[in-house]
Amino acid sequence: MVEDMKGKIRVFCRIRPMSRAEAAQGGAIAVGRLDDYSVTVETSRGPREFQFDRVFSGESSQEDVFQDTNRLIQSAIDGFNVCIFAYGQTGSGKTFTMVGDRDQRSPGIMPRAFNAVFDILQENATKFDFKVSVYMLELYNDRLQDLFVSGAEAQSRRVEIKRNRKGLVFAQGAETKEASSAGELFAMFQQACANRHNAATKMNVESSRSHLIIGIMVETRNLTNGSVSFGKLSLVDLAGSERAAKTGAKDDQLKEANSINKSLSALGDVISALSSDLPHIPYRNSKLTQIMQDSLGGNAKTLMVVNVSPSECNLDETLTSLIYATRVKTITNIAQRNLESKEIAQLKEVIMKLRSGQPVEDDEV
Amino acid sequence: MASTYSHEWRAVCDKFNNAQDLSEVESRKDPENDPFRSKYKARELLREIYCSLKNFDVGENESVNDEADQRPTEQPVDGGMEEGFGRGHCGDSPAGSRAAKLGAVEYYLGVNHVETEELSAGEEHLMNCMTLLEKCSISPENVSLFIQVRNQLGILWAGRDEIEKAQGFLETAEAMYIRYMKEDGQPPMDLTEFFVAEEEALPQQERTKRFEMAYTHTLYYLAQVYKNLEQYEKAGGYCHSTLQRQLKFNQFIPLEWAINAATLSQYYITKNLYMEGRHCLSAASVIADLAGEVPSEAAAQESEAEAEKRDQLRQKRAEIARCWIKYCLNLLQDAKKLLEDNIGELDMDRQAELRATRLQEEEEKERGRKSAVLFGSTDTFDSICGLEEKVSCVFPVDFEEARAIFLVGQTYVNQAKEYFEMDGHVTDHIEILQDHSALFKALAFFEEDMERRCKMHKRRVDMMEPICKDLNAQYYLLVCRQLQFELAETYYEMMDLKLAVANKQDDLDAHTVKKFNHLCSSSTRFYQMFLDSVRSPEGKWPEKLEDEVLRPALVAKFRVARLHSRLISSSKTVQLENLNRSLECYNFVVQYCKDNPEAKSAIETELELSEEMVSLLPLKINRLQANLASSNGL
Repeated sequence: MVEDMKGKIRVFCRIRPMSRAEAAQGGAIAVGRLDDYSVTVETSRGPREFQFDRVFSGESSQEDVFQDTNRLIQSAIDGFNVCIFAYGQTGSGKTFTMVGDRDQRSPGIMPRAFNAVFDILQENATKFDFKVSVYMLELYNDRLQDLFVSGAEAQSRRVEIKRNRKGLVFAQGAETKEASSAGELFAMFQQACANRHNAATKMNVESSRSHLIIGIMVETRNLTNGSVSFGKLSLVDLAGSERAAKTGAKDDQLKEANSINKSLSALGDVISALSSDLPHIPYRNSKLTQIMQDSLGGNAKTLMVVNVSPSECNLDETLTSLIYATRVKTITNIAQRNLESKEIAQLKEVIMKLRSGQPVEDDEV
Repeated sequence: MASTYSHEWRAVCDKFNNAQDLSEVESRKDPENDPFRSKYKARELLREIYCSLKNFDVGENESVNDEADQRPTEQPVDGGMEEGFGRGHCGDSPAGSRAAKLGAVEYYLGVNHVETEELSAGEEHLMNCMTLLEKCSISPENVSLFIQVRNQLGILWAGRDEIEKAQGFLETAEAMYIRYMKEDGQPPMDLTEFFVAEEEALPQQERTKRFEMAYTHTLYYLAQVYKNLEQYEKAGGYCHSTLQRQLKFNQFIPLEWAINAATLSQYYITKNLYMEGRHCLSAASVIADLAGEVPSEAAAQESEAEAEKRDQLRQKRAEIARCWIKYCLNLLQDAKKLLEDNIGELDMDRQAELRATRLQEEEEKERGRKSAVLFGSTDTFDSICGLEEKVSCVFPVDFEEARAIFLVGQTYVNQAKEYFEMDGHVTDHIEILQDHSALFKALAFFEEDMERRCKMHKRRVDMMEPICKDLNAQYYLLVCRQLQFELAETYYEMMDLKLAVANKQDDLDAHTVKKFNHLCSSSTRFYQMFLDSVRSPEGKWPEKLEDEVLRPALVAKFRVARLHSRLISSSKTVQLENLNRSLECYNFVVQYCKDNPEAKSAIETELELSEEMVSLLPLKINRLQANLASSNGL
């Protein structure tokens, strides 16, 4: 029974509208929303369907997408550990989904979440005292960096995200700032993004791309009985790095090793992919996998939003994203046990006796 | 080669070296806004080399109407091998040599174009190379090129989502290696040696090493191809061969190799191939040790680099320990599946059967499979064998054998916990504890003595109950639910065992009854905790249960119903209360399925029984009530 209770990650898929550049290139569409839960992709080997918890088409608004995530914000404040991941290749609309447009006329999930957190807290200001603190980190080249600190200093500090049994999360080595309004949170967010940009330009072509990790900790104290609860909302913006997937490289492309001395770095990915239910996967080649694992473990409230482009010219990347998203959803097994448990057998006996009017000991029932 | 153009020849060699240097070394320094600068320069040089080569030897060559001149039509399917060993120019002849050199330049041009993302041009050059070689028989001079050009074409076609084409090229390369090694076997010339002076030729050892590495790549790419074709067994075999060769030719990074081998072991476990799994794990442990000493805590404090190294080594080794835990656990659990009867107890007949099959398998194994999978060089082989001897790879059939495996598993549990401490690695730590609990549970199956069995379950409770209480139940919602459910089941099991022991001794005294009831209540308590976790923060039961808790929640209710009715009491009032509570729970299950018919399929058996009890219990309750009334003198 315990095995049956696997974590379930909800996955939303959002198809963005066709861009002008794509339209100029012919505008052939390869990805379509079949219904609220299915996406179809026209591959060179025929159409392929993917199932998700919700599918949003190009016509969907930011409001539409956020509506479904709003409940999660409430859960975070209630003391649960909530994670929202965004995944998608650059240009797939991921930033639009997570952040919104530059002028913030169509804010995305993050700014809306900031507002929602404080809205809910304000609503309950008579019942609860609260404290909101936040850390913002960047993950690239397998290292976590504090985005509240800029440039060289950020690179020299070692940051780790640790959790203890109480659920207290601490970003060891990074600054945690307090915020008293959604506006403050957003300002911090903008500062962090500015620092992120600086770091990114120093990267060389071979390094993996960067991921943004925001942790909002909400501590609420019940004014009536004094009880304290800690909740956390993690917002993670995953770059479209193939390393994000435990099973590694683009599905249909071989990992090369041109130079004779290069190690066969993707061999582990191939091995991990041999079966979908390996008892243990020690192959955590990246901090990202580690962090994701930590967020998923013990957590019943995770949402991943995968963004894709509708056009044929991005087909490869789209397929990669969708396949990865499908793998991320763990399947909840309702295991049908073929053999009866002892207990069922006993109860059947009891029932038989009751039915046939045989005396049943009082302590046998 | 005539010495008349030795001067020009020297120039060509120098040019080639420049091109290599630009391509491999200088290119790393290229700026982001002009990332292929060096490679473009290299390309120019290669083109010049090609022209120079074409101009040499004109007149000396028999077949002047160069097939190489004609741009060949696309031949997507490789039929190159059969011709390779027989027709055309002899590989060592001047014509053959010339073809090989031109082919090599085409190869490097091909790779250059691929690396600068010009796939069509890359393909053209690589195909030219292949065609040039087709004119020659295979020789130590050109076999490496033969194989490597096909490796490249394999990658190229896979990148275009044409897996079968990729497969074709790679399988030809594979066949050629095998045939060459069988029929010739001399250390072949390396690709870089086409343009070096004779004095600078590589030593045989180095040639062998590079050639073997090229073939290892072939196998590595084939592993990926088979994985993409969903031929997982074959892919697994090729992964295994790749690992073997890495070790054999000493081309590996210890920790990385160890983790890969450990992961492969997990794959073997899913296929019940425990011998192979054990071998992979033993090798993983041995090779991981080669990664060096763990820096001390003091050293880690001093230097960032040392701290990372310390963490990395400790973590990876702990991960390997976890793979070992799964090995032991799965071995025990799979044996249990084979040995249990239809109510989950050890069946003597099946035990005898398994013993017999085992004898047979032992012999088969000794012969066949073992040699195919061996890892290791001479140094490591003994260490690997040494580790293997410490644990069995066959299904245990009795307690002694099971216990031996259990103890190994337990050792690894302790090892893993050293790194994966609770604070900082909560989920990992708990997973390890759950595995430890599962080890006890599996071992208990083999234990005949019920008291001892009960003690094993008590160990599980002692391990998990404190954690369950300690964890933040909201934050670690899922994990807490798992623990609650497991604790409830374990107490239930203990309760049954206590009763069985007492019944055997025909001795249900007050003390035992108290113990029994305590276990019963504990089980109920944890199922109740689980059920409470499904409620909203205000304490409301949801109208509709979510998918992932549906079955467990209804089963929990069902079990609580049963537990209430099993409490032993001499007081009829208490009995009545218990039965009523029991009925309430059975009713809940029935009612929920009426209100949510789609839930029926999740809980068929339990629903059926609940319906029966809902109709039968009231009769019993009434009788009891009547009894109570009469005994009260009413």
